[in-house]
Amino acid sequence: MSDTYDVSGLLPGSVLDELPPGTNVAIIGPTMSGKREVALQLLATGYESGEGILCITTDSAAKICTELERHVDSLDQDRVGIIDTSGSDGQEFLNAMTENISSPSDLTGISIGTAKLSQQFTNRGVTDIRYGLISISTLLQYMSNKKVFKFLHVYTKRISSTGALGIYTLNTDSHDLQVVNMMIGLFDGIVEFRENEAGEFEFRVRGFGRKSTPWQSL
Amino acid sequence: MTDHGTPVILVVEDEPSVAEGYELWLADQYEIRLAYDGQEALETIDDSVDVVLLDRMMPKLSGKQVLREIRNRGIDCRVAMVTAVEPDFEVIEMGFDAYITKPPERQELLDTIEQLLDRSTVSDTFQEYHSLMARKGALQTQKTETELAGNEAYQDLLEQIETKRAAVDDDLGDMGSDIGFVSAVRDFADDDGDFEDSELDDELAFNETEEDE
Repeated sequence: MSDTYDVSGLLPGSVLDELPPGTNVAIIGPTMSGKREVALQLLATGYESGEGILCITTDSAAKICTELERHVDSLDQDRVGIIDTSGSDGQEFLNAMTENISSPSDLTGISIGTAKLSQQFTNRGVTDIRYGLISISTLLQYMSNKKVFKFLHVYTKRISSTGALGIYTLNTDSHDLQVVNMMIGLFDGIVEFRENEAGEFEFRVRGFGRKSTPWQSL
Repeated sequence: MTDHGTPVILVVEDEPSVAEGYELWLADQYEIRLAYDGQEALETIDDSVDVVLLDRMMPKLSGKQVLREIRNRGIDCRVAMVTAVEPDFEVIEMGFDAYITKPPERQELLDTIEQLLDRSTVSDTFQEYHSLMARKGALQTQKTETELAGNEAYQDLLEQIETKRAAVDDDLGDMGSDIGFVSAVRDFADDDGDFEDSELDDELAFNETEEDE
């Protein structure tokens, strides 16, 4: 296992270059602020150097594969696993191992899928894995915040005890601020986006055991 | 499940000498009940049982069938499969909470039982942890970071959160284990929906009352 996960080149400047194994990071911000792109890029950053990608999506696996392919040369079935909770039948041919779950509310199914795919990675000798969950906001549409909170706590603990890197997205304008704050408390660090008065997007980085960065333009 | 007192372990094993061997190891710390086949296990089991050690291969009813019936009846206990063959993924999918390979070491058996007993308290600890975190989330919406930094009650809350988080993690055990992870999620995944707008307010009200005591 490597000592750190490379996360450089993600944001302007060098506010975030690498993260230790077992880190959980949430990308949060309003709708259409580019969180999803940043999360996908973060998932894909170590891929060319042999890391694996295991992503839970509330969209179809095909959509995530297409999006990931914008960030990597080509996807290799041995190193990409997708847990598709959209209820699609999984009949399409994709360059990824897939587990199809009937609904985002089937948390047991998601956890079994996660365990299965991580075993596949182990069997293939892939030790450094970036786990994605896109998105927490969709889970919150299907379940109480209490249930989602518990799931995320257990999930982040799984990431930290296996030395993986966990990457999550959360819409800040779809939920009560109180719920957003509560969820944020589960992660080691946050990359936060907002739109300023001029209609431009800015970001800051909070957590990771250091002082928050000031808001900076993208 | 018992709330207090000596935990009750049900050993289901068709080989009497093996069953009695487990009893010898465990009787100091737990109340042991023995069943020599699946049918007897289902006649014996009730809500007072905390942990079931279930042999995989038995005549008549298999361990898998017994597990299914235990879950169907909604009995709140943890079930460990005891198996001579290295289990495949099916064991996780079937809903076992742990597995023990035969023949087990005494310490391994004791450790597994302790972990499963811890797990049976996680539901309450989790509830309290969620309440505290909801409260923190609410305070963050009401006050600025500077105000919170100087607020003693908020600093107390942060300490309580750290203590509770450690308790939850201790109860959960090793989440790097596939079966432990799936079993931990399954514990709350099937809870009935508590999807109400007021749920956070309820949590807060609950906390206020608690503090008055």
